[in-house]
Amino acid sequence: MRPERGADPVTTAGPVLYARSRALPQTITALAVTTLLAIWAAHALDSYLDPDRQVPVVALAPLFASAVIGTSLHTASDELDRTAVRPWWRRRLLHLLTLTALATALLPLAVLTSTQTFGPPAMIRNVLGCTGLTAAAAVVLGARLSWLPVFGYVSAMYLGIAGLRGGALPAWAWLLEPRTGGTAWTTAATLFLLGGTAYVIRGARPTP
Amino acid sequence: MTLLAERPSTGTRHPLRPELQRGFAPWAGGAVLLTLTVAVAVPAETWQGGWAETRDQMHTAATLLGIPMALAAGCWQGGRERRRRTGELMETSVRGSLPRFLASALPVAVWVAVGHLAAAALALLATWYCATGDSPYLVVPLVDTLVLACAALAGVVVGRVLPWRLAAPLLAMGAYVVLGVLSYDSRNALAHLSPLLDTSANRVPVWWQPIVTATWVGGLAIAAVLAHAAHRRATALLPLAAAAAAGALLVQTGDGLTHTDPIARRQVCDTSTTPQICVSARYEKLLPQVTQALSGLTGRLEGVENLPVRFEDRPGGSRPDEVQLPMIKPFGSSVVRGRLTDPEQYAWEAGMMLIGRAWCDRTDPAVGRTDAAVEHYLAPSPAEAYFDERDAKGSKADREELKARQQARARLLAMDEEERRTWLSEYFATAEECDPSGVPTL
Repeated sequence: MRPERGADPVTTAGPVLYARSRALPQTITALAVTTLLAIWAAHALDSYLDPDRQVPVVALAPLFASAVIGTSLHTASDELDRTAVRPWWRRRLLHLLTLTALATALLPLAVLTSTQTFGPPAMIRNVLGCTGLTAAAAVVLGARLSWLPVFGYVSAMYLGIAGLRGGALPAWAWLLEPRTGGTAWTTAATLFLLGGTAYVIRGARPTP
Repeated sequence: MTLLAERPSTGTRHPLRPELQRGFAPWAGGAVLLTLTVAVAVPAETWQGGWAETRDQMHTAATLLGIPMALAAGCWQGGRERRRRTGELMETSVRGSLPRFLASALPVAVWVAVGHLAAAALALLATWYCATGDSPYLVVPLVDTLVLACAALAGVVVGRVLPWRLAAPLLAMGAYVVLGVLSYDSRNALAHLSPLLDTSANRVPVWWQPIVTATWVGGLAIAAVLAHAAHRRATALLPLAAAAAAGALLVQTGDGLTHTDPIARRQVCDTSTTPQICVSARYEKLLPQVTQALSGLTGRLEGVENLPVRFEDRPGGSRPDEVQLPMIKPFGSSVVRGRLTDPEQYAWEAGMMLIGRAWCDRTDPAVGRTDAAVEHYLAPSPAEAYFDERDAKGSKADREELKARQQARARLLAMDEEERRTWLSEYFATAEECDPSGVPTL
C-alpha cells in the first residue's frame, strides 16, 4: 500500500489502490468459487428431479454472494477516506453495481437447466434482494458484520417456508417465491434500491 | 480522595459481567431468538397444539438454523481481538490464556443458549394454551441449548485461528452443508452423528440419547477449546476420547436411538356411540370435539348392525372390525391450534371411511348411487351442493344422473326409522364388497 519512490506509477493509480484496499481481487475470486460450488451443489442434489431441491442453491448461493459483497465494502482507513476531496459516492456506486452485476451474471449459471420454477430469474432476484439487505446492514452495523441480518432472514425463510408451500407467498417471503414476476420481484428490487442508495450516500458504518 | 475511596467498589465486578451486558454477545442471543422464532412461527399451524410436534419443529430449527448461527456468532466474537488490534494488549494480562479465552467466549455461548431457551419457551407457551393432550418434552430443547452453546464455543476457536473476514459466514455455510448432507440420507451410518435427531412425532429418544449426544458435541467443543487455549494442550485428549466414544456409540446404535412413544399406542375412547370413537392418547382433548363433530353421523347409525366396532387412531393398520378415524395429524389441515377446522368435512370423511368401496376397480352405477345416498344421509359433503348445482346446469346425461341420485336420497329418507335401520344393517354387511349382486340398492 505504501507508494515507494521510483515505484511503477500504475500501482499507485487510484482505482488500483481502491481495488486493493477493498480486497476486490479476493472478493471476485470468492464470487467465482461460490458460483462453482453452487453449480456443483445443483448437480449433486439432482435438482432436475424436483424444483424444491433447488431451494438450498437458490437461497444459500445468493446469501453467500451477498456476504462476500457486503464484507468487501469494508475500509481499513475510514477516517482518512472521509477527508478526501473527491466525492465517494461514485466509487461506492461503481463498487456495489460492479460486484452485484458480476454476481447476477455468474450465479444463474448454477440453475440454467431449470427454467420453470427456480431458474435464473429467481437467482437474480435473490442476489439483488440479499445484496440490498447486506448493503443496508453495512450502513447500520458496519461492513464486516453486514452478513448477519441477511443470514438470519435466509435462515428463517429456509425452514419456515415449509408451512407456506402452495399458493402465492406473501411479499416478505420473496426469497422463495417460485413464480417469477409479481410482488417478489418488486420487493427484491426495492430492497436493492433502498439498501444500495443508503450505502452509496452514507457509506459503511466505521467499525474498529 | 473521595474518588480514590470509591474505586474499589467498582473493582469487585466479575470480568464476565461487562462482556455479558455489552458488545456483540447480547446481539447474538437476540439474532438466535429472532431467527428461531420466525422460523417456527411461520409454519405454526403445523405444530401448535401438539407437544411432540412442537418438540420436533423446535429441534429441527435449533439444529439446522441455530447451529450455523451459533458457529458464526462465535467465529465473529473470536476475531474481535484481531479486528480491534488488542491481541497484544491481552497477551500482557496476568491471567492465563484459557481464562482470557473464556472471558470473551462464554458470554456469546451463554447468550446464544439464552436466545434458544427463550425461543423454545415461546414455542412451548404457544402450544400450552391449545394443547391437545400429552405432556411437554423438555429434555430435547435442553440438550439443543447445550449443543448451541458448544457450537458457539467452537466458533470462537475457529474465529481466533482463521484470520479472514469471511470466516464467520463461511463457517456457517459449511455447517449448513454438513448438517444438510448428514440429514439428506438417513441410511448413511454417519447420519446419526448429526445432532438432528430425525424422529416422527410418534417416537421419543431413548433415555441415554441426550447424555451421549451431549458428550459427543460437548466433548468436541471442549477439546477444541483446550487444544487452542489450555496451558497443557494434551488435556484436550480427554474430552476428545469421550467424544469419540460417544460418537462410536451413536453410530453403532443407529436407529435404536429412538423408540415408539408408549402414549402414541394408547387410545382414549368414547364408547357411548355407534361406532365407538377413539383418538390417540396424544390428542385426548380432541375427543369431545371429534365426538361432537360426528354426533350427527353416530346418531343416525344408532341401532344399525354390521358396523365396525370403533373408529381407531393408532399408528399402523386397522384391525378387521375397526375403521380408521379420519386424519387428525399432520396438524394444519383437519386440526389447527387444537380445533377441528371443518367439523362438517370431518364428519363426511368419517362417513366415507365406513363405505369401503373406494378400492374397487369399478362400481356398478346403481351401487354408486346407493353409496352416495347413504353418504348424503350420514353426513353430506360440504361440496355436495356444488356438484348438484353443476350437474343441474350440465348436459342431459348429467341432469338425469342428478335426478337418479336425488331419487335414491329421497327413498332412503322416506323410509320409517325401523325400516331404514334394517336396510342400513343389510347395506353395511356388504359395504366393502365390489361385487354388486349382493348389495341392496335404492
